Amino acid sequence: MAFLEQHIHDEPKTFISKYVISYDHKVIGKQFLWYGIFWLLVGGLMAMLIRWTLAYPGVPFPLIGSLLFPHTGGVVPPDTYAMLFTMHGTIMIFFAITPILIGAFGNFCIPLMIGARDMIFPTLNMLSFWFSMASGALLLISLCLPLGAAAGGWTSYPTLSTTLGSPGAGQTLWLLSLFLFGASSTMGAVNYITTVITLRAPGMDYFKMPLTIWGIWLTSILNAIFVPVLGAGLILLTFDRVFGTTFFLAGAAATSGKGDPVLFQHVFWIFGHPEVYILILPAWGIVSDLLSFFSRKPAFGYKMTALSLTAITILSTVVYGHHMYTTQMSPLLTQSFMTLTMLISMPSAVFFANWLGTLWKGSIRFTSPMLFSLGVVFVFGLGGLTGLYLASTSIDLYLHDTYFVVGHFHYTMAASVLLGGFAGTYFWFPKMFGRMMDEKLAKIHFWTTMIPLNGIFTGMMMMGWAGMHRRLYNPFIYEFTQNLMPLNKFVTYCAIAMGFAQFTFLYNFFKTIFGKNIPQASSNPWDVGTLEWTIPSPAPHYNFKEIPHVKCGPHELGNPNLTDGKDFQYQTEELVKA
Amino acid sequence: MATKAQIQEEKVFQNSVAMTVTLIAFGMMFATLFLGYFLVRANTAVWPPVEIQNMPKLLPFLSTLVMGLSSLTYLKMEKSESQRSLYWILTFALGIVFLVLQWILWGALKEKGILVSNGNVPSMVIAFTWIHAAHILLGLIALSWLGKYVLKKKEELTVIKLMNVGKFWHFLGVIWLLIYLMMFVL
Repeated sequence: MAFLEQHIHDEPKTFISKYVISYDHKVIGKQFLWYGIFWLLVGGLMAMLIRWTLAYPGVPFPLIGSLLFPHTGGVVPPDTYAMLFTMHGTIMIFFAITPILIGAFGNFCIPLMIGARDMIFPTLNMLSFWFSMASGALLLISLCLPLGAAAGGWTSYPTLSTTLGSPGAGQTLWLLSLFLFGASSTMGAVNYITTVITLRAPGMDYFKMPLTIWGIWLTSILNAIFVPVLGAGLILLTFDRVFGTTFFLAGAAATSGKGDPVLFQHVFWIFGHPEVYILILPAWGIVSDLLSFFSRKPAFGYKMTALSLTAITILSTVVYGHHMYTTQMSPLLTQSFMTLTMLISMPSAVFFANWLGTLWKGSIRFTSPMLFSLGVVFVFGLGGLTGLYLASTSIDLYLHDTYFVVGHFHYTMAASVLLGGFAGTYFWFPKMFGRMMDEKLAKIHFWTTMIPLNGIFTGMMMMGWAGMHRRLYNPFIYEFTQNLMPLNKFVTYCAIAMGFAQFTFLYNFFKTIFGKNIPQASSNPWDVGTLEWTIPSPAPHYNFKEIPHVKCGPHELGNPNLTDGKDFQYQTEELVKA
Repeated sequence: MATKAQIQEEKVFQNSVAMTVTLIAFGMMFATLFLGYFLVRANTAVWPPVEIQNMPKLLPFLSTLVMGLSSLTYLKMEKSESQRSLYWILTFALGIVFLVLQWILWGALKEKGILVSNGNVPSMVIAFTWIHAAHILLGLIALSWLGKYVLKKKEELTVIKLMNVGKFWHFLGVIWLLIYLMMFVL
């Protein structure tokens, strides 16, 4: 823990040093937030195009269709459709969720919540953001190429992603973009892990850290270990495309020699499964804290929640094979992976029960962060339970590559993470920008998101159960899927409704930041005791004048021994006992 | 008030943690490459396959020798304050020699018909040496940065800087040793 010295940076004065090349973790966090929101909109528009095509095959996309696809009169062409679902997945996972959940909240929260003045390596932190920007720029450029962007799915399996399946430069740029993204993530991970280990304020032992920090810290550990695995796969695939190596080319695809396309699947999923947890652990951490804060009572089973998150982190590294049951894996392996995957449900059940325990008999305040947190509890429950179906080998053989899988992973990776991200944004907004977002609009945003969101992903699971496959341009050429057309339309209407609901958020977000006569937030508008709420809003550039001394846990709420009129304690206060 | 020694100790600890995480990340990337190699090797009926039967022996051996020597000179640089500049020059020069040897090795492989397009085993031999050489280049950049302090005998040259670059350099040595043993010896 950091007992010794932490310098106070000079206050940045110029626009460039304050907002562009900033070393301040708070500014970098906000940069990641803007960046993530931008990509969220791009990825969201792509989702609309995909859904429209599935609800109205061959019908021009309304309003902007003829502008986007003039040569087809506004109809999404089949090759563009493949590009759209590839880029939608890539953008949402790597360029929207990762920057918001890990980049924005990681950067903003870690030093403030552990009582440090900044990250341990501010320059590395700044570089991490700009590597991410460069990576995003490459991806944007790939959208403008003559043969289009990558179109081999977000998993980019060979042979789809080799020069045979994707002859254009779009796929190569996709690979380079993700490699740069990986470098950015690894830099962030080194910084986060080291900061949490070495810069915690005196008195803040690991079991006094907020669960948000636990989630982000565990995510960083997974990032540091598994993103380089993807890096190796990306390098080899780039070599296959650029230098003519044959790591992943086999059969008729290889002009000479032989490679192994399934090898890429191994490499991809060794990274890819932990990636699911990389995305969701910060959301779990945030929600675990917020449920306690707004139930006005300590987090039920705090230590067990932290340990369950750790157990899930460890188990997530040994289950990747459940993505590959259909690759003629030996039954011994499929059974092993199935057992290990099922095992994850045990620690998951522990912290889920702890969430419910936290809510039980709480004095719940239905603020917007709390509503979104409750939303996470609901959607993660559904997403988690449907995961058990897919973990089972025999059921997965039927459901593999159907919309059931799409619905399931959207519930876990998209819905949970998105709602968790909104919960965090509404919660820390006053500390970030010094103003309060409009609660009424935030609540409208919640309900108009939550209801259609469930329509979309439940609908998808129903379609998948009925046998509709993912990634088909027009699934309705098959007779057995034709009666799924009304359900597809329903899902698309829900998607459109959810898409429009996000304008409420955008309006609220921009209006609060740039609007006039917006009241300033107090230093602690939510009555919470973690360290970031002990300083003014917005947080000053030096964070803490004096490094705080931590004396109690992060969830000291509803203590009956408190006598001074408030129902919470700051972490810097001695625990009040009877 | 913290003493200078305490501050130094804490900084060493912070950097050790960061460098350990960094090396784990780099290690995982190379481990993935080795995993791919093991899988391919396990699934190849006859080893070595015909595509790599004429692998050069002397050049990779010399590279290993040079890499080992450069690690030794680096260790000397860390310990000997008076001859630090000399050992820095030696380490840097050996790094360059290693890259030149790799260049010659790639030429030799090409002459013997071991080409990247001849299947995944030759692809691996060549691509792994490329990837390692790219990291050596990174190592040389780090050494050049260090040289700025060593050659000008600047006070800012700290144990931490020497330690961090050293760990990375030795790590690359270990990776090369593994590549050498797996690709060229066993």
